[in-house]
Amino acid sequence: MKKMHHLQIEPGQIGEFVIMPGDPGRCHLIAEHFENPQLIAQSREYVTYTGKYEGLTVSVTSTGMGCPSAAIALEELIMSGAKYLIRLGTTGALQKNINLGDIIIPTSAVRLEGTSVEYIPIEFPAVADIDIIDALIRAAQEKNLKSHIGIIMSHDAFYKGSVFADPDFLKREQVWIDSNILSVENESSALFTIGYLRKVKVGTILTAVANHLTREVITDEEKINPIFHQMTDLCLEAFKNKN
Amino acid sequence: MEQVQYHIRCKKDDVNKAVLLPGDIERADYIGTKFFRDSVKIVENREFHIYNGIYENKPVAVCSTGIGCMSAAVAIEELTNIGCKYFIRVGTCGSLSPEINPGDIIIVTGAVRGDGASKEYIPIEYPAVADYRIVTALRNRAKKENTDYSLGIIRTHDAFYMESPFAFGDYKKRVTIWAEAGVLAIENESSTLFVIGSLRKVQVGTILVAAGNLITGKKGTKNELQKSVDKAIIIAAGALVDLREKEEEKI
Repeated sequence: MKKMHHLQIEPGQIGEFVIMPGDPGRCHLIAEHFENPQLIAQSREYVTYTGKYEGLTVSVTSTGMGCPSAAIALEELIMSGAKYLIRLGTTGALQKNINLGDIIIPTSAVRLEGTSVEYIPIEFPAVADIDIIDALIRAAQEKNLKSHIGIIMSHDAFYKGSVFADPDFLKREQVWIDSNILSVENESSALFTIGYLRKVKVGTILTAVANHLTREVITDEEKINPIFHQMTDLCLEAFKNKN
Repeated sequence: MEQVQYHIRCKKDDVNKAVLLPGDIERADYIGTKFFRDSVKIVENREFHIYNGIYENKPVAVCSTGIGCMSAAVAIEELTNIGCKYFIRVGTCGSLSPEINPGDIIIVTGAVRGDGASKEYIPIEYPAVADYRIVTALRNRAKKENTDYSLGIIRTHDAFYMESPFAFGDYKKRVTIWAEAGVLAIENESSTLFVIGSLRKVQVGTILVAAGNLITGKKGTKNELQKSVDKAIIIAAGALVDLREKEEEKI
């Protein structure tokens, strides 16, 4: 079997269950939760590990930042046999009641990016798979973790819509704040759209590392990593429940 | 909000807060009189017929929306103004999937925004998503009723005579892009109802019965369809009851 063009993996090397962080540097943290994790491939921004979790074959593959590279990762993972995929990442909150470190489980995403529009007209809704949403919510409830559930936004231009953007960024985001969008990130809308088109189950779990209204930011990786471990547990529980 | 709403002619607390939303006026009359106990007709104005009643010992309501997002938006806005919180559209649709035959039931997770009304509310990239709690409640009730259903995205549009078996010209060609994307069916109200639900923080969902199949040309008989519509009404009304019970648990 030929290796996938970008991920450099081949069918049989990954499980049906895949966690997708944006940052390749976080893959090894997630792989720590697997039994006997093996580094499968490392190519560009794509790092893949495969291991076992309670009898399931599970993998982690980073997507890089943004929908163009995330779409490539998802397409090649599906071609390699993935069926249940959860993006695990960070996000900037757009609502006052979301504190730094809080967990967000999106039901759907605003398509403020270019990639998904190449797939299907913009009026198509980017919705997460309902079974993944349910499984993540149940996993969080079982661990008594509070989560925010609702619509998020995916965009392409970090320096137009983030706490590091020009001072007018909140003016541009007001329409989304007023329409109850929970937070901003970079990959989910294309992942949800492509997941539906390819008939695989895709969801997302995020933690707020910034709040655009208060302008607070967490930059210290030491503070973010424990939340990543917590979210990894939730993804693995969700995979288990799903099965 | 004490004032009487412009179109539905009701004021605060006149209508029970869990509401079925059929498109057809006659279906609202049918639900109100045949499925609800102690039902009372509250309003009959334009395409809006509203009944309060009891279903499985819980207060519920039904309000027809008329055809299309324009009048559906008016109905849900005014019902929300007077305190309604849970909405389930019960209607019919044209199937785009070879696997969904006339009489089959669809539980909707999201809708393509092919309508005009929702664009007046919020840019087109905003997703028209059904409330996940309603989707779950509908699925649970369908299971309880031993009813098979399809689950997924549908398309909402405005122009019946462009995309239906009664349409002019090559309507199949116009809907091919959606059929190929796995969009299950076409109807006329859900996308705007979902968008307004997200904007106004009320829960909205949809359950549909395929009246015909746009791709295969199959049509259901009136009798067959009525059986499925009854089933959809029972599932939707039951889901409203479950949502109200959940709310009471929290209090």
